Amino acid sequence: MKKLILFLAFCTAFLSVSCDTDKLLDQPLQGRQQLDDFFSTEKNAESFVNSVYQLVNGTNWNQVNFQRQINEMASDDNWAGNTRQPRPDITGIAQYNVFPGSTYFNLFWENHYIGITRANIVLDRVPGIEIDDAKKAQLIAEAKFLRAFFYFDLVRNFGGVPIVTTYSEILEPTINDKVRSSVEEVYQFIESDLKDAIADLPLRSQQSSGESGRATKGAVQSLLAKVYLFEEKWAEAQSMAKTVMDSNEYSLEPDFANIYKVGNLNSVETIFEIQYINNPTFNGVGGQFAITNGSRGDRGWGWASPTSDLENAFLSEGDNIRLRSTIIKHGEPVFGDPAVTSFDGLPAENKPGRTNRKYYIPTADRPDPYQRGQLPLHYIHLRLADVILIHAEAAYFNGDETSAKNSLKLVRDRVSLTTNTSLTGSALRDAIWKERRLELALEQHRLYDIRRQKINGVPRIALILGPNGSFVKYNTEVSTDPYETTNLLEPQNSGTLFDPNIHLLWPIPPEEIQLSRGKIVQNPGY
Amino acid sequence: MKQLTIILISILCFSFSAQAQITVKGTITDDQGQPIPGVNILEKNTTKGAFSDLDGKFTISVGEKATLVFSYLGFKTQEIAVAGRTQLTVKMLTDDTQLDEIVVIGYGSVKRDKIATSLVTVDGAEISKQVASNPAEALQGKAAGVQVLSSGGSPGASPRIVIRGITTANGSTNPLIVIDGILQPNGTSLNSVNSQDIENFQILKDAAASAIYGSRASNGVVLITTKRGKEGKSVVSVDLNYGVQYWDKIESAGAQEYIRIMNTRRTNDGNAPLFNPADFQGEGTNWWNEVVQNFAPVLNANIRASGGTEKIKYSGSLGIFDQQANYSKGFYQRITGRFNVDYKISDKVSLKQDISPRIERWENTPNLLYNSLRIDPLTPVFVPQSQRVGRNEFSIYGLSQNLVPNPVAQLARQFNENDFFGFFSNTQLDYKINPNLTFRSQFGFNISRQTSQTFNPEYFIGPNRQLEINNLTKRVTNNFDYVLNNTITFDKTFNDKHYLNLTGGIVFDSENWDYLQGYRDGLPSNTNENLRQLDAAEGETIRTNANQATNNILSGVFRGIYSFDNKYTFNGSVRVDQSSRFPKDGRTGVFSSVSFAWDVDSEDFFKSETINNLRVKIATGEVGNQNISRDGQFFSIGSGNFVFGGDRVVANFLSQFGNPNLRWETVRDKNFGVLMGLFNNQITVEAEYYEKTSENLLFSVETPNFTGIPGRVAQNVGSFQSKGLDLTVGYNKQWDKLTLGVNLTVSTNESKAIELAPGNEVILGQRRPRLGNRFVKITELGETVGLFQGYQTAGIFQNQTELNSHTSEDGTLVQPNAQIGDLRFVDQNGDGVLNDDDLTTIGNPFPDFYGGLNINMSYKDFDFSMQWYGTAGNDVFNINTEYIFAGTQNLNVLAGLENLVWSPTNTGAKFPRLTELDRNGNYQNPSDLFIEDGSYLRLRNVQLGYNFKLKGFNKCRVYLSGQNLLTFTKYSGFDPEVSSGGIINGLGVDTSGNPVAKTFLLGLNITL
Repeated sequence: MKKLILFLAFCTAFLSVSCDTDKLLDQPLQGRQQLDDFFSTEKNAESFVNSVYQLVNGTNWNQVNFQRQINEMASDDNWAGNTRQPRPDITGIAQYNVFPGSTYFNLFWENHYIGITRANIVLDRVPGIEIDDAKKAQLIAEAKFLRAFFYFDLVRNFGGVPIVTTYSEILEPTINDKVRSSVEEVYQFIESDLKDAIADLPLRSQQSSGESGRATKGAVQSLLAKVYLFEEKWAEAQSMAKTVMDSNEYSLEPDFANIYKVGNLNSVETIFEIQYINNPTFNGVGGQFAITNGSRGDRGWGWASPTSDLENAFLSEGDNIRLRSTIIKHGEPVFGDPAVTSFDGLPAENKPGRTNRKYYIPTADRPDPYQRGQLPLHYIHLRLADVILIHAEAAYFNGDETSAKNSLKLVRDRVSLTTNTSLTGSALRDAIWKERRLELALEQHRLYDIRRQKINGVPRIALILGPNGSFVKYNTEVSTDPYETTNLLEPQNSGTLFDPNIHLLWPIPPEEIQLSRGKIVQNPGY
Repeated sequence: MKQLTIILISILCFSFSAQAQITVKGTITDDQGQPIPGVNILEKNTTKGAFSDLDGKFTISVGEKATLVFSYLGFKTQEIAVAGRTQLTVKMLTDDTQLDEIVVIGYGSVKRDKIATSLVTVDGAEISKQVASNPAEALQGKAAGVQVLSSGGSPGASPRIVIRGITTANGSTNPLIVIDGILQPNGTSLNSVNSQDIENFQILKDAAASAIYGSRASNGVVLITTKRGKEGKSVVSVDLNYGVQYWDKIESAGAQEYIRIMNTRRTNDGNAPLFNPADFQGEGTNWWNEVVQNFAPVLNANIRASGGTEKIKYSGSLGIFDQQANYSKGFYQRITGRFNVDYKISDKVSLKQDISPRIERWENTPNLLYNSLRIDPLTPVFVPQSQRVGRNEFSIYGLSQNLVPNPVAQLARQFNENDFFGFFSNTQLDYKINPNLTFRSQFGFNISRQTSQTFNPEYFIGPNRQLEINNLTKRVTNNFDYVLNNTITFDKTFNDKHYLNLTGGIVFDSENWDYLQGYRDGLPSNTNENLRQLDAAEGETIRTNANQATNNILSGVFRGIYSFDNKYTFNGSVRVDQSSRFPKDGRTGVFSSVSFAWDVDSEDFFKSETINNLRVKIATGEVGNQNISRDGQFFSIGSGNFVFGGDRVVANFLSQFGNPNLRWETVRDKNFGVLMGLFNNQITVEAEYYEKTSENLLFSVETPNFTGIPGRVAQNVGSFQSKGLDLTVGYNKQWDKLTLGVNLTVSTNESKAIELAPGNEVILGQRRPRLGNRFVKITELGETVGLFQGYQTAGIFQNQTELNSHTSEDGTLVQPNAQIGDLRFVDQNGDGVLNDDDLTTIGNPFPDFYGGLNINMSYKDFDFSMQWYGTAGNDVFNINTEYIFAGTQNLNVLAGLENLVWSPTNTGAKFPRLTELDRNGNYQNPSDLFIEDGSYLRLRNVQLGYNFKLKGFNKCRVYLSGQNLLTFTKYSGFDPEVSSGGIINGLGVDTSGNPVAKTFLLGLNITL
């Protein structure tokens, strides 16, 4: 009986403890910082801004950058390449048998908006933190630069997209009523973000060494120059590109081969890059693309392989310096990698037997283990040569042929090519466009450029692709390339299905149309 | 301490007393004069006892003045004074007062006729017929309104239990499990209970019954009562069975057919063929045969001892279960113990102490059927000897032509171990303050620890089929959950007419979880098992993770039962819950219920020869649901890495978008039932109609991607309503030597969305990347939840005329890329464009009805039982169609596909022409091509037993048993019993999981 009383006493005691119910029932989430407490210090604000940068290339191979590779495959510079693994969402798109449900369209769309929302959170929360005003302004400017970068990528791939400008709006039910803005509205928004950002960002020379890779005034100006170019605002494009060229912040890398060289982070020519390093302690600090684009005979996946058409473009200019640093060919030595005397391009599994040299990591520079996510080769989004060629093109369309030729010469001089100073009119225009192709080959410019550039109002891509396109005709009627003409698993007439009424834009991911209950409208033809 | 010693001694020593003894012999029969074997005979107030044998005969030595107690389930217990006699003839009387059965309900137990709510009991003996790790499997078809959805045929798989349809939108529809009054944590698998330990299941189907469990009861409640000792001689019984499991094969195309199909689809497109048929002789690798090892064993052994005196009763059992997978890897082993002791300390005080330790070990069973069906038959399992130089044992496998992972290689490099230890204790103290008032205090706790270790060896099979550096992950998870119930019950009958039972109490429930995980790479050996420890790793990558969480619920409960003259019964209950899962303002929930039953047959005016029992009941109640991720209310920051200045920096982001306005989900229901007994209860019929309505439905909503919200956000999205009818018909009859019991259950259910909140007018799920990245499940206002969505097809284009005529009214071609032999999609809105506006409902995964038929028979020494289960009218979305019937990708197809696809010579085919480009999107869009009728009828269990005599044993029985031996279905996949993922968005979607096996078993029961 005594025990019973003791037991009951215990129960009663327990219950009276229980009566402090708030203590029992407030169970905060353990081990996770909360948004409302987070934006309290400069360090936290900065590390949140860092996460916006993550979305520029994504944290895995497939999130953002692989769609850029597919874009290359859909141009005349690259084949899909890998003939071992035909897939509707890669090879299908490369052949313009477009599968709107492609995972890569979807991920590209989704991840760009994740980046935009992260930028919007910065813009929502950072103004309220009590930190140094200049630092605050800089962080806000970085977020605006990145947000503009994301919208620019979206508008070039999908056309007008929904514009989300604040963090708070996504939490309201009315967000579901959002529709696509027009292309013009998106460009207007991009311009306004970039213009806002210029003032508050430091010059590259003002950055400490630990800050390299963060956005600079030069990066914003360069991106703005490119945005103007895409809008065909020639005067603004020329003037903005000129500002960057005259800033004395950047110079052309004397040796073209050093632009993409392991260890050459933040080179003199680099304006905006994603820095990749090898540090197995941390996930996602290294690159992916030497493997996704590498030869299947060299531990790669064999996607996005250069065409003989691109090789011919170099050869026709006698441009060996850039050719050898752009294309690796089966059975030949690899420039800059003395360990490889006969490259295995595995033509049985790779249509052209060619591999992108810009992403290639020479044997001596390969970390062990050699694996995705840990490859120490940086990825350049903006570099001076690009800006100089923007300047050349914009100047040409402004009627300033002298400036155009001067800029063209700057780029050609670096690779020891002479420039014909008597060029004028459409010949000059074509020379500038060709220079742009050769200088920036395999750096994810080509598809956007040939969609944008027009001859008599017709986008160049319509002259290159389609049943009568120059690229398709070359492959089906002229080419004698030993690899491309024998590996027919990727058809030689790739690109013949291109339709200029449909394929100047990619389809909106069908998932988005379903989730928005049809308020987001599909592009025509899909 | 002294008392404890007494308990222990009493358990261990069965008394052997030495007094003036006589030997009493006798025969026990029923009222028809038939002998009854197995009757428990006990000398009153001792532990001395015996059993009647097969002829109903018994022998026992007792004192001359002893009183014998005869008891047997289903018969009235009798006491007979020996009074010096040595021969006794005992006639046992049937106990047909089934309604007097004591039924366990929440926080107490009452006679069955005092309950006006919906509750169904399944006897433990029925459960243990099905040999499975999980007792829930055996519930299928046993109780109307209870759906048991298989989660496949992997060892240790836990099926889902769905009670009366779907009223909750979020993933878990599992009911609350209560074992001997102790609420188990959310998500508890019934694997934790040995089915041999179960006395019975009570399934509380309506809210009126389960409202006493409040916020955790919206999916229904399953009360499990474990077996306890009975007064009497100690009984030791052994049950052993052993069996093998078998999967029916699905035949994939051999090498020659594969080559023909791969080439034809390319030449149909005008492209070069993929293979030169001359390069390959023979039929290649039969991957099914390489991967599946049929006849995997399953072993089940149980020993139980029970008995006791009036003061102390005990029941102890030990069970061993071992099930191997139909692959070379994968198993589930379990040892469970259960020791239940009842100790009557005094007339006023009694104590129950149950402990149940449990050890489980398992290796995850891989699911290799998907890859086995897809991999090409041209690839050999291993590379030739000559290419193995410099390759380790995980790298000697062939890299498939079509780059599907080699399933044999996947098996070889799977190293996964899981160890689980659980300890459950339940202490219950009852104090009878006076004859009508009882105070009960119950403390139950569960401690468990799970250790999981996964090792990935280094291997190279090809690019992107490699691991450069091996790694090891070890994770230790601890759970400590406890429940404290303090209740007081008043139970009294006034003036023989008014029965009153009142229960009230305070209940506290706490779940505590923590984990610690370590990861390292670079182990010195791929093969030395002694080095598979984190300590041995030498690589640079080291990761540790740990976290913890606590969920508490504090509640007050109250229930009242009033019955007048055994004619009218009223029940009512209220529960107030406060849960830590919700923000402070939405934390409290009040759940109440009322119900009423009328025993029509007890009325004087009711005179019927045929109907001997008639009861109608009506009930309404409400319960809650707090089953949403506890992160739901929070906005959490995640962390990752980025690089600036050549160095890693921290990158923080918003990883979880919370919802500070989350509230309880509430389910209200109405239940109306009729119970009838005919011909002296030979036939029983129970019919119930219900309507369940949920409000503030909790759901993790997928927002448009342009919001930049990764993942989903917890929201209260609206209301679902579930309606249905449960019907149970029983027939029990005894003839001369034949007894027959038949039980039929039939249920219907329809769950609809009746209200959806702004911004959530449509709930989408099951996005399929290869089917246009579209969601194939849709829930819309006024419609059944989770319907299949896609294009409707109208056959195959047979000629150019049909192609040209498939236009809108103004003549626009609807499918400009289609060719003869492609699918014709229906342009629902007639606008000439096939797009999202033309998606329509193409199937319903819910059956029109489902049910079970259970037959038990015995004749002389034989017994026989059969359990059938089936569903009718449900559709299955067979995802596998996108490759096994398609041939669009480089993936293997079903054998004989050549005869199933359209060609100019096979124009009546179901499947469209072979094409790789598939410009028409035959296999790139969800359509009714993927929908199949999933109706089936399955012989879940059939068992034949034979009882025989063996000297020294009271009872011996051998039996042969088969599970899932027969299935009648039109469905083309492995198993029509499919569900993947969440209940709304996964039900009826077949992604080729491991099918339920046919099992052949031989068993033996012995009672000492």
